[in-house]
Order: sequence, then C-alpha cells, then structure tokens
Amino acid sequence: MTDHAQYAPGPAGGAQVRKDGEKWTLILVRELRHSPEKVWQALTDPAHLREWAPFEVDGNLGTVGTTAKLTAVGAPTPQVTKTTVTRADAPKLLEYNWGAQDIRWQLEAYGGGTRLTLWHNIDRRFISMGAAGWHICFDVLDGVLSGTPIGRIVGREAMKFGWRRLNSEYAKQFGIETPNRPSQAAQES
Amino acid sequence: MKIKLTSVYVDDQDKALRFYTEVLGFAKKADFSQGPFRWLTVASPEEPSGTELQLALNNNPAAKAYQQAIFQQSQPATMFYTDDVKGDYERITARGAVFTMPPTDVTGSTIAMLNDTCGNLIQLTQLARYSR
Repeated sequence: MTDHAQYAPGPAGGAQVRKDGEKWTLILVRELRHSPEKVWQALTDPAHLREWAPFEVDGNLGTVGTTAKLTAVGAPTPQVTKTTVTRADAPKLLEYNWGAQDIRWQLEAYGGGTRLTLWHNIDRRFISMGAAGWHICFDVLDGVLSGTPIGRIVGREAMKFGWRRLNSEYAKQFGIETPNRPSQAAQES
Repeated sequence: MKIKLTSVYVDDQDKALRFYTEVLGFAKKADFSQGPFRWLTVASPEEPSGTELQLALNNNPAAKAYQQAIFQQSQPATMFYTDDVKGDYERITARGAVFTMPPTDVTGSTIAMLNDTCGNLIQLTQLARYSR
C-alpha cells in the first residue's frame, strides 16, 4: 500500500499525440487489473470521480444526454462548466465535453482487466501538462480500484508529486518544447 | 494580506498575450492549464516580482455584459501607472495601438486611454509631481 506522502509517479509512458494540423489530441492508454464494469463506475459515478479525477460532477455521467455541472478541482480560480454526455455505451465507450474540449474514454476487456484509453483534445502548447496530470490521476485511480487509495492529487498538489518531471518527459516524447512551465516562467522574470 | 494580482477579462488569450507583451511591453509570467482552463499572467519588466495581471478568458455571460457596458461608457477596465505617459503614448501608438484619449491633464495627474483590442479600455496614469 502506497502512502499519499510517499507516492511518486513512474516514468512517462503510454501516451501519444495525434496531430491533425493545429488540432492535437492526447491519447493515453493504461492497463488496469479491474473489470470494465468496475472501471466504468469509477469514470461515471460522481462519488468515485471525486476520489481521483481532476474535476467533480454533480450528476452521473453514465447516461447519454445527461447534463451536469463540471467543476475543476485545484484550479487557481473556481472553474465551472456544463458538460453534456454525448455517448455512453456501458461499459465500453463514454464521451462528454469539458468546456471546449472533448473527453472520450474507451474500455476494453483485456487479460482479466481493462485496457483504458483516453482521447482528450488539448491545445498543443499544454498537451504535455495534460499528459502529466492524467498520468498522476490514473495512478490514483488504480489505487482507488485496488482498495488502496492514496488520495486525490490534482491541480497545484500535483506539483509536489513529480508533475514537472512528467511534463518534461512527455514534452520530449511528443517532440515539443515546454516554454510554458510555471517554474521556468517564474525564473525568466 | 497583499494585493499581488489583478485581472482583466479578455476575449482571446493568445491575442491578449500578444497585445500586453508586444504592444504594451509587459512580460509573460505564468502560463499553464488544467483541462480547458488557462491561467495566464503578465508582469511589468520594471517590477518582475510585482503585481501580476491575469488575462482571464471571458466566457462568462454576466462578465461579458458588464465588460461591454463599461466599455461603452468609456470606463477603463483597469489602470496602469507610469512615470512617462507621453512617452508611453508615443511608444504604444507606434506599435499600432489606438488611444481613445491622448495624454490629458486632469486633477492631480495626466491620463490617457487606449483600446486593448480584447474588449477593454485601459487607462494610463501619471501622477503630477508638485515642487514645493
């Protein structure tokens, strides 16, 4: 069992970027030792999302057509948007929006567990930040599903847990520079 | 308690960053994002650790209505202090910005007003110095 304070993410991996002109999509794959049904619940149930996701919702995301208030957690100012679930084929495919961005989850049964794939169209300048954030969230999700929760790590909190290293590693993997890292920006000034 | 940050709403953060750095001459300070939200601030190169100005995306209907109303009333969204308002006027005009009020003497100060192209009027203020 990993303690919250002792948690450290592993090296960057399992991510790729699909570049469609200026429109980039982050694709993250994570293999989990839990059934698609169990993972589906963690992706749709507000109480489960609250344990690991970078946002909270006030409604279950498991039904197509559902609209819910989606609140980013740990953002520097309160950031609330409305989300609409556009696809919900339990326990296989889930799509909804986060502001102007689209989130798509695919769950595939795989070796007794689930291969989870996330598509998230993040602006290319911030795509390595998104990969680093989701990497940590997936580690926390894995702990929740395994019954050994390490506690949600999002927003500024992630800075204490290797987020900067992951951001640099993913940026390198994606072939982009990270001129926008807050630490660098602060040093430049 | 300290005042370390103030905000202006902008209709486009990329356009705003260009205007506030390339035209006005501020420097980018912080730029990071979480999901669709982008935290973007600039600071004065004269005071790099001074008050930051957040360039906040205005996607809030209530804030848009307020922003448009005060713009139409010629009210500035925020105000910057300078020691040389006429010099700034020349410099910023040369970079293509439009002033809605050239440097004008008023009680206790000289002020000018410019359009930031992102939905706001910005006032520049130079306080008058009185010799004894």
